Amino acid sequence: MTSAIGLNGLQKTYPGSPPVRALRNADLTINDNEFFTLLGPSGCGKTTLLRLMAGFEVPTAGELTLFGDDIAHLPPEKRPINTVFQHYSLFPHMTVLENITFGLKRLRKPDAEAKRVAQEMLDLVHLSDFSARKPDQLSGGQQQRVALARALAPQPRVLLLDEPLSALDLKLRQSMRAELKRLQRDTGITFVFVTHDQEEALAMSDRIAVMSQGEIQQVGDPATIYEFPENRFVAEFIGDADFFEAETLGGTSYKLPNGETITGPQTKAAIGAKVTLFFRPEKATLKRAGNGLSGRVSDILYLGNSTDYVVELVQGGSLTVRSENHKDGTAIAEVGSDVVVEIDPAAVRVLSA
Amino acid sequence: MTQFGAKIRSHAALIPATIVIGIFMIVPILIILVYSFLAPGDYGGVKPEFSTDAYQRLLFQRDLFDQMVFDPAYLKIAFRSVWVAVVSVVGCLVLGFPVAYYIACQSEERRNIYLLLITIPFWTNLLIRTYCWILVLRDTGLINGGLIRLGLIDEPLTLLYTEGAIALGLIYTYVPFMVLPIYAALERLDRRLIEAARDLYSNRWVALRHVVIPLAMPGIIAGSILVYIPALGAFIAPDLLGGGKNLMLGSLVQLQFSSARNWPFGSALAMVIMAMVLLCLFFYARSAKKNGGGIQH
Repeated sequence: MTSAIGLNGLQKTYPGSPPVRALRNADLTINDNEFFTLLGPSGCGKTTLLRLMAGFEVPTAGELTLFGDDIAHLPPEKRPINTVFQHYSLFPHMTVLENITFGLKRLRKPDAEAKRVAQEMLDLVHLSDFSARKPDQLSGGQQQRVALARALAPQPRVLLLDEPLSALDLKLRQSMRAELKRLQRDTGITFVFVTHDQEEALAMSDRIAVMSQGEIQQVGDPATIYEFPENRFVAEFIGDADFFEAETLGGTSYKLPNGETITGPQTKAAIGAKVTLFFRPEKATLKRAGNGLSGRVSDILYLGNSTDYVVELVQGGSLTVRSENHKDGTAIAEVGSDVVVEIDPAAVRVLSA
Repeated sequence: MTQFGAKIRSHAALIPATIVIGIFMIVPILIILVYSFLAPGDYGGVKPEFSTDAYQRLLFQRDLFDQMVFDPAYLKIAFRSVWVAVVSVVGCLVLGFPVAYYIACQSEERRNIYLLLITIPFWTNLLIRTYCWILVLRDTGLINGGLIRLGLIDEPLTLLYTEGAIALGLIYTYVPFMVLPIYAALERLDRRLIEAARDLYSNRWVALRHVVIPLAMPGIIAGSILVYIPALGAFIAPDLLGGGKNLMLGSLVQLQFSSARNWPFGSALAMVIMAMVLLCLFFYARSAKKNGGGIQH
């Protein structure tokens, strides 16, 4: 697979006292024709990384390549990379058509060709009848699609999307997810998508890079990121997670603080080492009695398709168990009932501390 | 009844300004309009007889045989005034736009400092500031003296008492009026639009041309109007820096009311200036309408 974008020790530090290390040291390869997502909370460096790729920022150190060519110091207009901005940034004094042909005209494409491509783009985003409107005559969702068409029209090698869905309401956001995925497949252009919404990232991406505090924490496909997070930050940021402390007894046995032992996955940690175990709330089962972590239900959150039970453990600490409701809609347990949280050893992961 | 009361209250804020404008602007204009159709008094002032002489004098002159002959002298002065005013507008724009852009790009506290600096010239009397230009421009002034001392020229250049000197004085006086409205427009400009343009293969100049300038247009037009109108009627700079020989409309009006003692003619000239200004505004309003909306916010 060809690499579309390569980062090698890329760093960005903003001067100040103290200097802000927005991007500490990023190594990453984004493949051609990939839907790649940079995921992280605000301030994690994902936007800085995107702006470095777009050319709005110059790296402090490191390499940035586009299909093998060093582009770290090229100005934005010299990069065959286009951006869909968070707030769309459509030119308010131009019509939809003028917005979409803007890039093509700067590339000195003939008028006829620019118009034809723009029309194709408008068809692609289902806005064929809106070409003569001004941006302020469009709804948020329509502006979003114009921004997409404008960025796709010059046929960039890489399309950057800066939280493009964050300003849309929920329903629209969900339909745009499918739309973006379709556009990526249809155009074959590499998409680099920035978001803080883990659900969005999991739904659309081929691969995800989870970022925190200026560093890339983990890179992988959505299932790997969700099922096998490499550290506590990733586990907590992607979906809900339950953690508990234990001591390794060797093999697959772990000793809980209250002396009970449970079976978990194989670990490389030395016998007697303190480790953090983790599982997803939907992978545990709530039982009236049985083998597992015992505790008492302290809170119930009804979510519609499922219910979250917060269980105070006898050994200390609390866990959340997500359970499907009974077919007749009744709850599995009530607040105050004594329960056992049964965990499938295959669902338990060991995190390095 | 209450509805009527509410309507009055909602416009109450306008009442003081309306009264002031009514008394101090409309009334004088009406007086000037009336004067322009009267005959001149012997020692200034007007005689109460109707006459269109003042307007005829704009284009015609009575010759020795009391015949009306076409005389382009005042027309020339009018054209010169418009020309100098246009040059001043362009000069203010060329000087003012980069300044406004620079200020708009600064941090908020620095912006306020720079805006304060822009207003500094207003702290000193205009007459004195214009006299200072004489010191700079005259044959033995700063520029000529400096150039001669450097050996670049032997004879002093004729800088003072030229149309260029008038334009320079006007640009100097009115450049703040250009900077402030352009700054206001640029300050509102979403900087991310410039990034969007850069992203779409525009270098800074192309982005300036296709995004920044069109979006700053309301400010540019407002600034141009604010410079053009006073420049057209100015008389201090034309008088001091243009000497006697380059008469402009403003100084001509002043002359009629002072030494020439022809108030009706001065009034007619003032009316002509106003008509020329209104004509410009009319054309602007019409083109703005054609371009859909004109001033956008």
